[in-house]
Amino acid sequence: MADPTPQSKPTPDTADIERYARLLEEARGIHGVSLWQDAWRRLRRNRVAMCSLYFVIAISVLAVFVPLLPLQSPLDKDLRGRKDLPPNLAPISLGSRDELRFEGNSLAKELAKFEARLAELRAGVSAADADGQLRLKQQIETLQTNEDPLRKLWNNPGPIVRWMLRLRVSLFGDWCIPSVFGTDDLGRDVLSRVCWGARVSLVVGVVATLVSLSIGVSYGAIAGYCGGWVDEIMMRFVDILYSIPFIFVVIFLLTILGAEDTKKWLDEHGINQLVIFYVVIGAFYWLTMARVVRGQVISLKNEQFVEAARVIGAGRTRIIFRHLIPNVLGIVIVYLTLTIPAVMLFESFLSFLGLGVSPPDVSWGLLVNEGTQVITPIKIYWWLVVFSGMTLALTLFSLNFLGDGLRDALDPRMKNR
Amino acid sequence: MGGVAWFLLRRACWVVVTLWIVYTVSFILMRSVPGGPFDSERKLPAEIQKNIEARYKLDQPLLIQYFDHLGNIVFRGDFGPSFRLTDFTVNQVIEQGFPVSASMGIFAITFAIVLGTLSGIVSAVRRHTAWDVSFMTAATLGIAVPNFVLASLAIVVFVFQLHWFPAAGWGSLRQIILPALCLGAPYAGYIARLTRTGMLEVLGRDYIRTAYAKGLGEKRVVLRHALRGALLPVVSYLGPATAGVLTGSLVLEQVFALPGMGSHFVEAALQRDYPLALGMVMVYTCLLLFMNTVVDLSYAIIDPRVKIETQ
Amino acid sequence: MHHTVRNSFPYIALAGLFAALAWAVSFGTLPPADFSFSNGDEVKTVDPALAYGQPEHRVLTAMFEGLYRDWPIGFEMDEQGNVIGKPKPDENGNYPIGEIPGMAESYELSADGRVYTFHMRPGVKWSDGSPLTADDFVWSWRRTLHPETAATYGYQLWYLVGAKQYTEGRVELGDLVEIEMPNRPRADQPFPRGDICRAKLLGIARPPEVAPPANASDEEKEDLTSTWRSSWVYVVDHAAVPEASNSGAAKLAAYCKQPGTRDWQQYSTEWLDGARPASLPTTPETCQQILLDFESSVGVKAPDDATLVVTLQNRTPFFLALTAFYPLYPVNRACVEKYGVPDWTHPDNIVTNGAYTMEFRRVRDRMRLIKSPTYWDASRVKLQIVDAMAIKSATTALNMYLTGQLDWVTDVPASVIPDLIARPERDFVPTPVLIIAFYRLNTTRPPLDDVHVRRALNLAMDKQLICDKVTQGGQIPARSVVPPGLPGYKSPLCGAFDVEAARAELAKSKYANQPGGIPKLEITYNTNDTHRAIAEIIQQMWKNNLGIDVELKNLEWNSYLDAQHTMQYSVCRAGWVPDYPDANTFIDMWLTGGENNETGWSNARYDALVKQAAEEPDSDKRLRRMEEAEAILMDELPIVPIYYNTGKNLVSPSVKGFYHNTLEKYPIQLMRIEE
Repeated sequence: MADPTPQSKPTPDTADIERYARLLEEARGIHGVSLWQDAWRRLRRNRVAMCSLYFVIAISVLAVFVPLLPLQSPLDKDLRGRKDLPPNLAPISLGSRDELRFEGNSLAKELAKFEARLAELRAGVSAADADGQLRLKQQIETLQTNEDPLRKLWNNPGPIVRWMLRLRVSLFGDWCIPSVFGTDDLGRDVLSRVCWGARVSLVVGVVATLVSLSIGVSYGAIAGYCGGWVDEIMMRFVDILYSIPFIFVVIFLLTILGAEDTKKWLDEHGINQLVIFYVVIGAFYWLTMARVVRGQVISLKNEQFVEAARVIGAGRTRIIFRHLIPNVLGIVIVYLTLTIPAVMLFESFLSFLGLGVSPPDVSWGLLVNEGTQVITPIKIYWWLVVFSGMTLALTLFSLNFLGDGLRDALDPRMKNR
Repeated sequence: MGGVAWFLLRRACWVVVTLWIVYTVSFILMRSVPGGPFDSERKLPAEIQKNIEARYKLDQPLLIQYFDHLGNIVFRGDFGPSFRLTDFTVNQVIEQGFPVSASMGIFAITFAIVLGTLSGIVSAVRRHTAWDVSFMTAATLGIAVPNFVLASLAIVVFVFQLHWFPAAGWGSLRQIILPALCLGAPYAGYIARLTRTGMLEVLGRDYIRTAYAKGLGEKRVVLRHALRGALLPVVSYLGPATAGVLTGSLVLEQVFALPGMGSHFVEAALQRDYPLALGMVMVYTCLLLFMNTVVDLSYAIIDPRVKIETQ
Repeated sequence: MHHTVRNSFPYIALAGLFAALAWAVSFGTLPPADFSFSNGDEVKTVDPALAYGQPEHRVLTAMFEGLYRDWPIGFEMDEQGNVIGKPKPDENGNYPIGEIPGMAESYELSADGRVYTFHMRPGVKWSDGSPLTADDFVWSWRRTLHPETAATYGYQLWYLVGAKQYTEGRVELGDLVEIEMPNRPRADQPFPRGDICRAKLLGIARPPEVAPPANASDEEKEDLTSTWRSSWVYVVDHAAVPEASNSGAAKLAAYCKQPGTRDWQQYSTEWLDGARPASLPTTPETCQQILLDFESSVGVKAPDDATLVVTLQNRTPFFLALTAFYPLYPVNRACVEKYGVPDWTHPDNIVTNGAYTMEFRRVRDRMRLIKSPTYWDASRVKLQIVDAMAIKSATTALNMYLTGQLDWVTDVPASVIPDLIARPERDFVPTPVLIIAFYRLNTTRPPLDDVHVRRALNLAMDKQLICDKVTQGGQIPARSVVPPGLPGYKSPLCGAFDVEAARAELAKSKYANQPGGIPKLEITYNTNDTHRAIAEIIQQMWKNNLGIDVELKNLEWNSYLDAQHTMQYSVCRAGWVPDYPDANTFIDMWLTGGENNETGWSNARYDALVKQAAEEPDSDKRLRRMEEAEAILMDELPIVPIYYNTGKNLVSPSVKGFYHNTLEKYPIQLMRIEE
C-alpha cells in the first residue's frame, strides 16, 4: 500500500540537515542480521544440506560446461561395433567411425581441413569482385551447413556451444573418456548422453518450477487471505483448470505451434519449442501449489501476528506478501523440491506427445524412459537405466535435502536452536 | 448445522457451474485439435467416411452437436456411444472401468496414508535420527523414482525372482497388490514429507510447549494435539490425490494390463473418441469436486480455527 | 461445529476406509481358459461389417465363418480332429495359405470369371440353433453396403456389380430404385428398415443450388451440397415393377427425403428420354432413403436357400480369398434386428456362425470365447475356452508369456528380439509377412520436388544396417514397394546403398549449388521406439553421407495421420498392410490424386499402366503391366522403401496347429495344446 504523499515539502534548514546526516551515519554503523544472512549461517551448519547444495551447484556447473569436457558425441551412433556395450575402458577417439569419412578418421584433422578450406575461401572473398564475392559467400555458407564436422557430431550447435566444442577440440584433440557408462542400443555413449541430458532437464525443472511457484504462491495466498466469494471464485477456477484434460491442451498447442506460418513467426523471434514447453508445464503445476498455500494461509490468517499487522493498519497486499507468504515459505520450499522431480518426469511424457525434447537432443526423463523399456526378464541392459536413473535420483535427493535444510534455516522459530 | 447445509447447497451450485464450464472448454478444445475419430492409416473412400460421420452425427453443425450431447447428459445421463470402442456406450465403459480403478486406487491410497503419515510422524518426532534419515530417504525415493521404473523393477524382483505375484492381469487379490503398491508409492512419499514438515511446524508452536509444560506425555501431545494441525497440508493434498488415484494411471494399467480408467482417459484423447473423452473428463471432475468438498469439510472438522464461511 | 463430530471424525474416516477396502476385495475371479493369447489393442468392435484391424481379425475369424476360409495348404484332420496331414513350410518358414470351403461347400465360376455360384453346405446353423441359408449372406452384404451402416471395410464388396453405387446412394435415370418409407420400427437403427417399395426412376427435380460463401471451408461446402442433394425430388413409376406390395400404390409418384417440400414443380427437372408425364403430384411424399434397387441391380442373389450367385464387375482373381475375409462374413438378421447396433454384439445377445461364440467381455481386459456346439465342424475344434487378452504393452505380454499366463503373443518388444531368437525353446521365429515399411517424400516441397534428391536419399540409406542392428527381427532391406512372396510377380528394384552414387546424384540436383546448401528435411513419425530409432539412424546417414540437415518430429497417432493426410510433412514414416494378396493393393495407391497417395506425386504413364492392368483379362500380362508401373515408381521414388516386415509371433511350444504365413492368418480353430 502506497503511503500518502506529503502535501508539501518543508524546506529543511542546515542544522536539521546536519542532524539527519549524523543520524544516518549512526544507523549505518549498526549491522543488523537480515533474514537471509541468518538463514545462510544456519544452513551452513547443516552438513547434509550443504553437501546437497554443493552437489546441485556441481551438477549445474557441469551442465553449463558440458561442451568443454572431453566426452564422446552424445548422438553419434555406431551400430557396427559399439551397440549395447556394457561399461568398459576401451579407448576411443572422436571421429573414428568409418562412415563419417573424416580425414584420417580424426575429428581434429577433419576440423583442421574444414577450417583451412574455409580460410581459403574467406581469403578469396576480399580479392574477388562484387559478383565473385557473392558467389564465394554462398559457397562459404554451403560449406558451413553441409560440411562442418562439428555439426556432424553434435546436432546443430548454437554459436556459443560451437565455440566451446571448438575449444574442447583444441584442448583435448580426439581424446575422449571411454564408455565407462556403456553404450545404448544405437551405439551411443551413455556417459555423454547423461551429461548432455543434464542441460535440458535442469533448465526444464528449475524454470518450470519457478513459473509455477510465482503463480501458485501469490494466487493461493490471495485466495486464502481474502476468503469469502473471492476465495470461492478463485478456487473454483483452480478446480476447472484441474479438470480440463491437459492432453488436449497440449495437442491443441502443438497444432497451433506446428502450423507452418506460426512456426516461421516463432523461428523469426527466436522462440523455440522448449520455451513454450516451460510455460505449459508452469501453467499446469501451479494448481496444487495454490491449493496448498491457500490451506496454510487460511489457518494462519486468524493468528495474532496477522491480527496485529491489521491493527497497525497494514494493507491487504502488505499483509499477504510481507507477513503471510514468508510464513508459508517452509511448506512452499518443500513442495518446490517435490515439483522439480515431477516436472522432470512430466517432460518425458510430453515428449511422447511431441512437445518438449525431440531426438537427437536428450533429457534425463527420456533416458530413464528408454532404459525402462529394456528391463525385461529376458535380458536387462542395466547400465541403460542405472546410470541415468542414479543421476536423476541423486539430483532429486540433493534437491530434497537442500529443501529441508532451507526450510529449517528460514524458519524464524529455529533461530535459537 | 445450518451453516454446513448452506455451504453444501452453495457448493452444489458451484459444482454445476464448474461442470458446465469444464464440459464446454473440453468440448471446444477437443474439436479444435487435428485428426478425427475415424482416421486410420488407410484413408477411407470419401463416401464411406461421410456415411460414418453421418452415423455419429458428426456432419451436423458443431453447435447442434454440442447441445445434443449436453442435453443427453443432463436429461438422460447418457454420454452416447464410444467412437472407438464401438461395441460400447460411454456409460458402459465407465461402468466396467471405474470399479477396477477405484479398487486399485483405494488400496493405493490406504497404503499411502498409513505408511506416509506414520513415517512422517516418526521422522518429525525423532528428528535427525537414523529413523528420520531412512524414512525420508525412502520417501524421496518413492517420489523420485517414476512409477513406471518402479513397476518394471518390482516385476523383475517380485514376479521373476521371488515368484510372489502374477506378472499382470486383473481378477484376484494377488494381482491387485503389486500395482497398488506401485501406484501408492509416490503418494506415500509426498504424504510422509508433508506430514513431517507440518509436524515440525506445529511442534515449534507455543501450545505444544504449553502441553509439554503441563506434563503431558509425548505420545499424547503428538497424537492428540500436534497431529491435527500437522495433517492440514496433508488433507488439502489428499483431495486431488484421491481423485487422481481413483481414476487410475495410464502407465501402471499398461504395465500390469489392468482394465481401468486411466488408459481410457489418455487413449480417448489420443484417438479423438470425443464422447468417451468427455465422459472421462466429467467423471474425473465430479470426483475431484466431491473430494475437494470433503476436504473443505474435513478442514473445518479438524481445525477449530477454520470456520465454514456463511455470508 | 459440534465437538462430538470433531472427536469422532477420525473414526468415521477410518470406517469409511474399511468399507471401501471391503468393497475393493469383493471381486470374483474367472475360471482359467484353455488357451490365452495377447490380442494387442482393444477390439473396437466384433460386428464384421464395422470392424477393421488385426485384433478384430483374430477374434472375428474364430467367431464367424465366411463362404470359404483361409487354411494352411496341406493341413488335414480326421473326423475326430486328429492331424493326419501336415503342411510344408517354404524356405522362410512360412506356410502357403489357400481357401477351403466353409459355409459354402463348393462353387462354380463362369467362363468370363465374373459369376460365382456358391452351393451352401447343408445343415449349417447359427449359434442360436436356427439354420443358416444363402439369404443370410444376401441380407448381411446388403447391410454392409447400406450407406447408413457406414461399414469401414464396405468397399471390399465393391467388386460386386452395383455395390459401389448402392453404398454411395447414387441413382440414375432409368434405374430401378428402392424407396424406404419413414416408418422404421426404431428411429436410431437403419435395420430393420421401414416399408420398401420399388420403382423405376423417371426424373429428378433439383432446386437451384445455393452458392457457398467465398470464404467457406471445404466442410461447409460439403454440408451445403449434402443439404441441397437431400432436397431433390425423385419422380418414379411403380408400374415398372410388378409386385404385390406395389399394387395399391399410385402408378406415378414423387418422393423427397426432406419433409414438407413444395413448389418443386418449378425446379429444373431432368427426365428420362420420353418419360415426362402429363400430370404430376403437387406434394412429394417423404421418404427415408432412395437407393439403387438391391434385388435387381446389386450382384448378389439367393435363388434358393442353398445357392448364392455373386456377379462381379470385373474378373477378380482374389475374390475367393475375399470371401474368407471378415467384411464378407454373415451376421444373424434376427439378432441384429432385435437388439440393434451396438447392443447385438454384447456377450448376452450375440449370435455367431463360427467355431466360437462370446461368453464374456470386459473392455481392455479380455474377450472370452467358448466353443460353439452348433458349429458344423465342432468335432474338429479342440480348444474349449479361449481368452483374447487386450494387452497394449508388448513388454507386459512378454512377461505374461514367460510366467505362463499366455500361450501366444502377437508382438514382442524390439529390444529383446535377438535374445528371443536365441532361446533354446525355438518358440520365436520371425517370418516374412506382406508388409512394407517406407518413407513418404512430399514431392511438392523443395528439395524433394527434385527427383535427383529423392534418388540420392534412397542411395544414401544403408537399409541392411537398419535391418541387422535396429529392427533385428529378420526384416529384409526393401528396394521395391511390393514385397516378395506374391506368386508370379517380380518387383523391379530401386538403387542399392552406394554413397558415391548418392553424392553424384545429389550433385546433379538443382539444389546442389544453392546458397546455404540443401534445404533442411524433417522426418515425421508417430511416437514409437522403433520408428524413432530408425529415424535417428537415417538422420545420421543423410547427414554423414549427403550433408543434409534433418530434424525429427514425433507426433501422437492421430496428429501424425492428420499431418500425413493433409501433407504437412516433408518426409513421413509409413507402412502398408495389403487388403488382399495381390500386387495391385500396393500399386494402385500411387495413382494421381489417389486417397492413399499423399505424396503429391503424379505420373501420367504410371496411371495409364495401372489402368491397363485393371482391364487386362490375362493374368500374366496383368502382372507385367503392374511391374512396368512399379519400375516407374522405383525410378521416381516418391517413396523410399526401407524394409519388408516380419511377423513377431511368440508361440508356446505346447501349442500345435500354428502355421506362420505371409498374410498373418492364424485360425484358432486349428490350434490345440499338447504338452
